[in-house]
Amino acid sequence: MKVILQCPVAVVGVPALSRKRPLVLSPFLGQTALAHTLSGLSGEGAKQICLQAGERTAEVLRAVGAGEVWGLKITGPDERDFAGARRFILDSLPQAPDLALWTSYPVWFDAQMALLERMARQRVGMRELRPGVFVGLRTRLAPDARLTGPLWIGDNVFIGPGSVVGPQAVVEDDSYLDDGSEVVESIVGPGTYAGSFTELRRSFAWGRDLLQLDTGSLTEVQDRFLLSEAAAPKFSLTRLWKQWRHRLPIP
Amino acid sequence: MKLHHSPGVLVVTGLQELNATNAASVRDGVRGAVTSEVTGVDIDLSKTRFVDSSGLGALISIHKLMLARGGHVRVLNPIHAVEQVFEVTRLNRLFEVVKI
Repeated sequence: MKVILQCPVAVVGVPALSRKRPLVLSPFLGQTALAHTLSGLSGEGAKQICLQAGERTAEVLRAVGAGEVWGLKITGPDERDFAGARRFILDSLPQAPDLALWTSYPVWFDAQMALLERMARQRVGMRELRPGVFVGLRTRLAPDARLTGPLWIGDNVFIGPGSVVGPQAVVEDDSYLDDGSEVVESIVGPGTYAGSFTELRRSFAWGRDLLQLDTGSLTEVQDRFLLSEAAAPKFSLTRLWKQWRHRLPIP
Repeated sequence: MKLHHSPGVLVVTGLQELNATNAASVRDGVRGAVTSEVTGVDIDLSKTRFVDSSGLGALISIHKLMLARGGHVRVLNPIHAVEQVFEVTRLNRLFEVVKI
C-alpha cells in the first residue's frame, strides 16, 4: 500500500510546539507524533510513504531516514509514483483517527493522556509499576518519590527524592527531576532538567521553554537551576545508537 | 522604578525588568522607603517583562522585611510569563498575586 503523508509543520493552535523543530517532530509519548504515525501506517500495511512537509520536508526526512525502522520506504514530496494512493494528513494518529492532535495545547495534552496506557503497553521495555504508572528502561526512581497514575516515565530518567509525579504526567526520555520537584498534569520534554522544588502544573517544559497549557503563554526560564536542558554525557552508546541507527544497513 | 505612598501602602511601579542588574537597587530602594506607617507593599509587575532568580530574591527580601513588621507584600498584575516563573518556583504560594 502506498500512502501520501502530509505533515503540518506549524499550526495556529499550537505555535510553541513548532518553535524548536517541525511540529510533527515534537515529543509525543516517548517518540514523535511522526514516528507514531509511521508505526501506525506500517501496521495498517503501508509499504511506501511519500512524505510532504512543505518547506521543512528535508528536515523531517532527515529525522526519519529512509524508513527502515518501520519497514517502510519513505521518499520525498514528489507524488508522481503515488497515483491513487491513500492520503493521510497528520492531524491525528492512524492508531486513533478520531483524536485530534493539534487543535490547542489542552487538546494535544488530552490526546497524550488518552493514548498513554495503550502506547505504554506497546513500548518495548516499559513496565507497569502499579496500575497506570509506566516506567521505561534504565530509569532511577527515589524510594520516596510519589508516583500517581496515569503516568508515563520514559527511558533513562531520574526522579529525585521527595518528588511528586502525576497524576496525568509524562516525563520523556533522558530527563532529570531533582529533589522535591512536582510534576502534575504536565509534560516534561526529552532531555529536560527540572531543579529542586520546581513545580509544574498544566505545563509543558522542554529545555528552558516553559509553556502554560491553558493560556498558551510561553516563557524561557533564565535560571538553569530551575529549568534547563539536562546535560548529556560526553560519550553515550545510547546516543550514538539513536543517531546512527537509521543509517545502518540492518535488514 | 517609581515609589509612591498611598495611606499605609508603598506602591512600586515602573519596573521594566527585575533581574541581576537591578534587583539590589530595587530591594534597597524599597527597604529604604518602608517607614513605620507602611503596613503593605504593592509591587506592580504589569510592565515587567522579565524576572529571574535575583529578582525573586529581592522580592523575598522585601517580603521578609514586611513579615517582620507584621505587614504584607502583594504582587499586582504580573504578565503570564512572569506569573509562570512564580508558579514554577512556588512563590505564588508565598506572595499574594492580585490581578485587577
